[in-house]
Amino acid sequence: MYQTFIGLEIHIHLITNSKVFCSCRNEFGAEPNTNICPVCMGYPGVLPSLNAEAVRKSYQVCMALDCTLNETAIFERKNYFYPDMPKNYQISQFAFPFGINGFFDIDLGGGTVKRIRIHDVHLEEDAGKMIHSGGVSFLDYNRAGTPLLEIVTEPDLASGEEAEIFLQQFRQMVRYLGVTDGNMEEGSMRCDANVSINEQGKGLGIKTEVKNLNSSRFVNKALEYEIKRHTKVISAGGTIIQETRLWDEDRNVTRSMRTKESSNDYRYFPEPDLPPYLPDKDFLQEVRESLVELPLARKGRFMSEYALSESSAAFVTGEKEIADFFEKMVQHGVAPQTAARWLSGDVQKQLNLSGESLKASALTPERLSRLLVMVEDGKISRDAAKKVLAAIFTENEEPEKLVKDLGLEQVSNKEDLEKVVSEIVNAHEKVAEAIRNGADKQIGFLMGQVMKATAGKANPKIAQQLIKNNIFKQG
Amino acid sequence: MHIFEKRWSTALSADKKEYTQFVMRQDETVESFLQFDPERGIALQHTNGSLAGIPFGVKDNLAVDSYQLTCGSKILSGFTSPYTATAVQKLIDNGAVVVGKTNLDQFGMGSSTDTSAFKKTNNPWDTERVAGGSSGGSAAAVAAGLVPFALGTDTGGSVRQPASFCGIYGLKPTYGVVSRYGLTAYASSLDVVGVLSKTVDQSRIVFNLMKGQDERDNTSIMHPGSSNGGAVKRIGVLTAQKGVLHPDVEKSYAEAVGRLQQNGYTTREIDIETMKYVVPVYYTIATAEASANLARYTGIRYGYAAQDAKSSSDLMEESRNEGFGDEIKLRILLGTYVLRSGFQDQYYHRAQKIRTAIRNEFSRLFNEVDVILMPVFPTPPFKHGDSELTPFQQKVADKYTCAANLTGFPAISIPSSVENGLPVGVQLIAPPFEEERLFAVARVCEKDFPSPDSPLYKTSWS
Ligand SMILES: [Zn+2]
Repeated sequence: MYQTFIGLEIHIHLITNSKVFCSCRNEFGAEPNTNICPVCMGYPGVLPSLNAEAVRKSYQVCMALDCTLNETAIFERKNYFYPDMPKNYQISQFAFPFGINGFFDIDLGGGTVKRIRIHDVHLEEDAGKMIHSGGVSFLDYNRAGTPLLEIVTEPDLASGEEAEIFLQQFRQMVRYLGVTDGNMEEGSMRCDANVSINEQGKGLGIKTEVKNLNSSRFVNKALEYEIKRHTKVISAGGTIIQETRLWDEDRNVTRSMRTKESSNDYRYFPEPDLPPYLPDKDFLQEVRESLVELPLARKGRFMSEYALSESSAAFVTGEKEIADFFEKMVQHGVAPQTAARWLSGDVQKQLNLSGESLKASALTPERLSRLLVMVEDGKISRDAAKKVLAAIFTENEEPEKLVKDLGLEQVSNKEDLEKVVSEIVNAHEKVAEAIRNGADKQIGFLMGQVMKATAGKANPKIAQQLIKNNIFKQG
Repeated sequence: MHIFEKRWSTALSADKKEYTQFVMRQDETVESFLQFDPERGIALQHTNGSLAGIPFGVKDNLAVDSYQLTCGSKILSGFTSPYTATAVQKLIDNGAVVVGKTNLDQFGMGSSTDTSAFKKTNNPWDTERVAGGSSGGSAAAVAAGLVPFALGTDTGGSVRQPASFCGIYGLKPTYGVVSRYGLTAYASSLDVVGVLSKTVDQSRIVFNLMKGQDERDNTSIMHPGSSNGGAVKRIGVLTAQKGVLHPDVEKSYAEAVGRLQQNGYTTREIDIETMKYVVPVYYTIATAEASANLARYTGIRYGYAAQDAKSSSDLMEESRNEGFGDEIKLRILLGTYVLRSGFQDQYYHRAQKIRTAIRNEFSRLFNEVDVILMPVFPTPPFKHGDSELTPFQQKVADKYTCAANLTGFPAISIPSSVENGLPVGVQLIAPPFEEERLFAVARVCEKDFPSPDSPLYKTSWS
């Protein structure tokens, strides 16, 4: 009987060489206060100088979200005092951000897609960090002035789970674009959520905002907690207080912040140090052309073009590098299903073992494709291929060389195999008899014995044929 | 005739002691410098150029590497700049030598230089009187012959008014043609780096060296040059309303008009409808921007920090309370007030609309005249303290100078006469990028009436 309205404010740290308004390096994890200069420290007399790379990446996101692009974007000053904000105002966008009125389709599985409207996308600068320790506060300004893109959704999400799915798929998308690494633990992707409930058909209720959500799972949990809390209050005839609450991940509850901050008047006004930004047509056209195929579209295409199952397509398109890898393998003649199976199975296993990313590993689409073609051609067994795959990771060698070095070439020579087969059949006369009487399944047992005797090198197709020949000839 | 007399190019070379001692001695009376230390400037100098060896003063709200940068405020006492403003660097790159930092009203807010937290600068014509402001130190240093030129900044008349009070030239260029990088912001959309000098050509050469687009200032623009080669025939003369100008200023203004007519210019009286809005619009926009620009001074990263603060918010609050002067606090409060959400339409946005209307009216007038003449300030240099002009009256008196800042148009203050022992100046305003027109008219006037030497002005170091 109650309807839930959830909106998200997502901040992503853009990957750029330098900060958004100065030439300091934009990197995570440097020694405190080493990536700073008069500009990002807010020294007297300095001015911001807009980073073109950050602008470009902002527009990529705007376009990926199908936003309307403002003809003129305006930077504004958001005024509030905080020790980690060098100028005590944040350069942001407010009335005229880069992008407005976009949408992002989330895939709820089973062919259900839900469209979530995007209110706006705006570029701003991040603040530094204040660390409290034993009654003393330390300030690290490395992060001050790093480019932050804020994406604000309309309250179109209906549950904690939908919010979690949104975040996961949104993260996937921005990683595809290569604009951020989307790491929520390191803070390169942050999320605040607002939620309200109301009786069906009565529109938005009074909302609360939840902060301190360091993973998409916490977003889900915190929202579910809030939905229950709202429901309880409203069912009992009470009223929700509009406020900001913090998620307490140790106790799995939200707590009221009760600070002055929530009642701030930011006194936005246009940043006089930056002229209005008018993106030119050629630039926008060039950015649009550089956009990559996004995960949801790619998943759909992989299902229709390569006949992958939904779950298989979802896995392969989950990361752009895997999807690219997959398509290269298909180009090299590997059957799509085979490529997908190996990528999601053994390759993933090896990556988990080595802790590497696919890109950084010794495995290339060419190497894996050639290996699988060897399996297809019966040159090596599937088990042997698994060993070679592991060896590629550790030895960084070509698969052909590893097959040779490890002695994994299959025995396809009929004479050699016939000898082994007749020995096995003779040693298991009772089994052979059973097979003659129709127990076909027992051939598998004899196959196992042949493989054991040849250390897995026997070509299974030939070996099976020879077993049958041997048994029925003797009969 | 050289643009700079020989004594200036040799002041810091052969026997710089003589020059240094001269300045220190003179400045005991004038109090124009907050920091006089030519050695630092010499250390920054590695090249020759058209200004080789020429000493100059820099207003202490412009950053010069290794020099202090106090903005005349306690909140920045002891602060040393780690970098140099682009405009200053361009002069250094042409051989000029910074000799010191000049006094100013705190953060450029004032018309007397008396709001400086450190000292009061005296007018070289009469030390009982102010040198004007906020670039009062720069104006007094030039008028006392301590440097041939000095840099100032002009947000609402801060170069032109002290130039007028001290009997020298003061140029406020078109907004954006000189980089603001290194100019401590008071009101970013109005602030301009300007020049105060003893002759027109000195201002002209310094301006031409300073101008240019700067990648560190995204609001800077390339100067396209004059559209008509700096030619001036028609001059619009703002009708001075009865009783607004002090009699001495009125007399001097009339004299300037006569001089222009004698030199063949066609003059024409004009009224500017929007003039009455200039002061309220200026104080709305300037204080709004100032309230944000001055938010960075909290004692946390640099500058004055209050002792024994209990928390970071106390530290910020107390440092600002103890570090800022009253005039600063007044303007921050005013600016915060006009920017409140829900009130912006009534104040800030409305002021921006009127600002556009003012610019449009000036642009229209420039279809009919080449430059506009108007007074700089309604009174001659006034006495220290508020016996003659209260701070409120001083603000009202900014009406003639603020127009050029609100429009962004270039303007120059030129000496017009000396009345009762005090210099008076007039102001010329030109369309954007037409500094050449200002120099052309100023040069013609200079022939008939060059910058008068103040009683303290000397042409030798002895
Ligand atoms: Zn920096």
